[in-house]
Amino acid sequence: MNKNKTYMFKEIEDYREELETKHLRTKNHFVLGLLAGMMVITIIYMFVTAFDLGDTIALMIGFLIVILINIAQLAYGKENYKFLQLNKYITTVYVYVLSIVIIFLFESPVAITVLFLAYAISAFYQDLKVMTISNVLLLFSALMILLNFPEYLTFPSANTENSFGVAFFFVAFITILTVSTFIIIKQKRFFYNQIALSKETEFRNIDLLIDIQKQATSTDIDLKKYYQNVRAFCEEFSGKIGAENAFSEKLDVLFALEKNTARNKLLAKYPKYSAADLYRLEDLLVGGKHRLRKLAIKMSHTYNIDIKRREMFSETHFKSFNHQYDNFEIKLLAFVVFYAALKRGIDGIVSLDGQAIRNILTSTDYFYYIDPRVMRIYDRNSEVFETIAADILGKGEAA
Amino acid sequence: MNTFFRRVRDAEFLPMSEVRKIKTILVMAFLSVITAVTIPFSIFFNYSTGVKIIIMALFVIAYALMIVMIRLNRLMAATQISVLYSLGLTLFYTQGTSSFYAYLFFYITLTVIIFYQELYTYISFGTIATALGVAYIIINQAELIQPDALPGTMYIFILTLVLFYFIFLVQIMYNEKLYTDMNFDWVKMNQVIDKYQDDIFLYVDEIRKQAGNELVHEDIAFQRLVAELAVFVAEQTKESGKDIINLFDLYLYIHERGLAKILANEEISVAMKKTADHLHKYVLNQRSDMISMLYNFMSRFRPTEPYRSDRYEYRLHQIATRPDEVIIALALLYQYLANEVSGADEWDQMKRILSPDDIEKLFTGNEAEDFLTPREVAIFKENRELFVKHLCRKD
Repeated sequence: MNKNKTYMFKEIEDYREELETKHLRTKNHFVLGLLAGMMVITIIYMFVTAFDLGDTIALMIGFLIVILINIAQLAYGKENYKFLQLNKYITTVYVYVLSIVIIFLFESPVAITVLFLAYAISAFYQDLKVMTISNVLLLFSALMILLNFPEYLTFPSANTENSFGVAFFFVAFITILTVSTFIIIKQKRFFYNQIALSKETEFRNIDLLIDIQKQATSTDIDLKKYYQNVRAFCEEFSGKIGAENAFSEKLDVLFALEKNTARNKLLAKYPKYSAADLYRLEDLLVGGKHRLRKLAIKMSHTYNIDIKRREMFSETHFKSFNHQYDNFEIKLLAFVVFYAALKRGIDGIVSLDGQAIRNILTSTDYFYYIDPRVMRIYDRNSEVFETIAADILGKGEAA
Repeated sequence: MNTFFRRVRDAEFLPMSEVRKIKTILVMAFLSVITAVTIPFSIFFNYSTGVKIIIMALFVIAYALMIVMIRLNRLMAATQISVLYSLGLTLFYTQGTSSFYAYLFFYITLTVIIFYQELYTYISFGTIATALGVAYIIINQAELIQPDALPGTMYIFILTLVLFYFIFLVQIMYNEKLYTDMNFDWVKMNQVIDKYQDDIFLYVDEIRKQAGNELVHEDIAFQRLVAELAVFVAEQTKESGKDIINLFDLYLYIHERGLAKILANEEISVAMKKTADHLHKYVLNQRSDMISMLYNFMSRFRPTEPYRSDRYEYRLHQIATRPDEVIIALALLYQYLANEVSGADEWDQMKRILSPDDIEKLFTGNEAEDFLTPREVAIFKENRELFVKHLCRKD
């Protein structure tokens, strides 16, 4: 069994990355706000308590640099999202550097707690790599102070119990914070996964619907009639707005594309159009599985959709064979029915071979849709499953 | 243990209830370590031995209660008890000693609450923990702060704790908003996918009828295969093969009679009705979770276009980018909606076609926001009679 699971649809990874980037921008705005707030509070404190002016200005410049880096990377991030990715790493390291500078300037146990704020700020990114960097820096900072600057940790109530207590509970705090951040990151990824999975499932189901409808009804769109009607519509529309009919040629090109006319022929016949234009116009086709048709199908199926509040976060939408409220026998039977149906096949949809089924069930996120006990038995005995299926269904007997 | 750690590692694939359970178990493990350490630490606390024993006994009872709640799958209750447990530990430490490590407990308690990512729990218990922390600093400043410390050190102690609380409050609020929006989209998408699959199911059934094939669940070979595999798996787990066959009989009976009739039958036991209700989502003679999972699984093996960043883009202005193309696209879209089957009619026949009024509602209603810009809606409204005259079905 593959221990590192991938996704059943590889497109999920691409879209999840897009979602991450989309939300990273907002998180960067929050971090920027927090840094500005921290700068204002720290500098006011240093002025009020008459800290050395040189130190105060140096720290302020330090804060301003990280704020400017953030602003610049946010701007560049519009062009290339990798700047946003880079920004979270730079900001994390920089926030710890600033915290260590504050510890050196304040030389007090109270400044140690600034490290917790640094951790909290970097936790905002909800990113595993950032979390690792943050943990390493927090640990490094704590060890550095404990070993090289123990005088910063001098308390009025200094004794062995206090020293041990501080060290132990500091480690305990970092541990629970790390585990917490790790799970929160995983939970965020769960939401992104589900959104990405639903998007891909929808995309593939629309494709399936188009194909199966054609197969069941043996009919397809009457393209000739469609384009005649649109021509008449465009003609009258142009007359209504008092303009010349500028749609004819484009409709000719679209119709030719619907008829799968070779692109080089079209480019020769319509020199005004480039290959990129033809590529773009393909999205407007209503035949085949082009984007406009998908939009129409989605729109018609969105009609009368009503979401009740109780449905939010409801697990009834999470389809699996591993529902907590089902007993083991139900989970077992559900999986077996599923496997048998895949082996038998459904009319209009091909049946699958055992290896293909096994690969998806054991190596992808599908693994988690099935009770672990059932999955373990299937994984150990997939050949037995195959043999039983072959004995009963026979080779080539599937629909 | 290995399985548990694997589940923690793969938490991104697990539903929320599973993750909540994992979180509660992790917090319990953490609290058990802290409680174990508390026993030697309590030697230094300013309580009488009797009080120490009573408090430790209360912790043990609370811990047992958490285990019971997890066993009963009352995860919310277990969560609340664990938060109260953390607060109790914090109070036990802070009332028993004025050392700096007791102050760290406020951060630990806040982190435990942050772990659950529940806004109301954080606002209520998190605020209590922060307020207690502030009070602790003010009351115990002599023990926490050196006489020659920086001026305003007490305020820095308070400020860092309050900032820590606020940074995570902002994070939890942001997550709450983000997850609610995403969940709304997810539920909506799932409902739409169910509708596609309702249609696919009817078309598949039409293909079956045309081919003269029997229904899947009525296929004897299929029934034999399920029965043999079910008995095989059951025997591997030392379950009774007979019980699983009885369950399969009930499953087939649901197909034959329908769930409503089984639930209405007074001769059938409540336990069997409950099982039938649970099994119903896996039936094969209507679009069920089983059918959805079969279609989704099989769609994995169908050819698909290579990924591009606008793969899931269904807004018209992203598909048609030039003004003349917008008009053509609107006309083609309207014509498609007005002429092609959009679902099943009241007799479960794939013949429902949207009327001009239905399409007008689609183009101008709330759903339109997901597909059309206000400008595109305005073009439609201004030229509605042209759309109806040229593009509607004529029969």
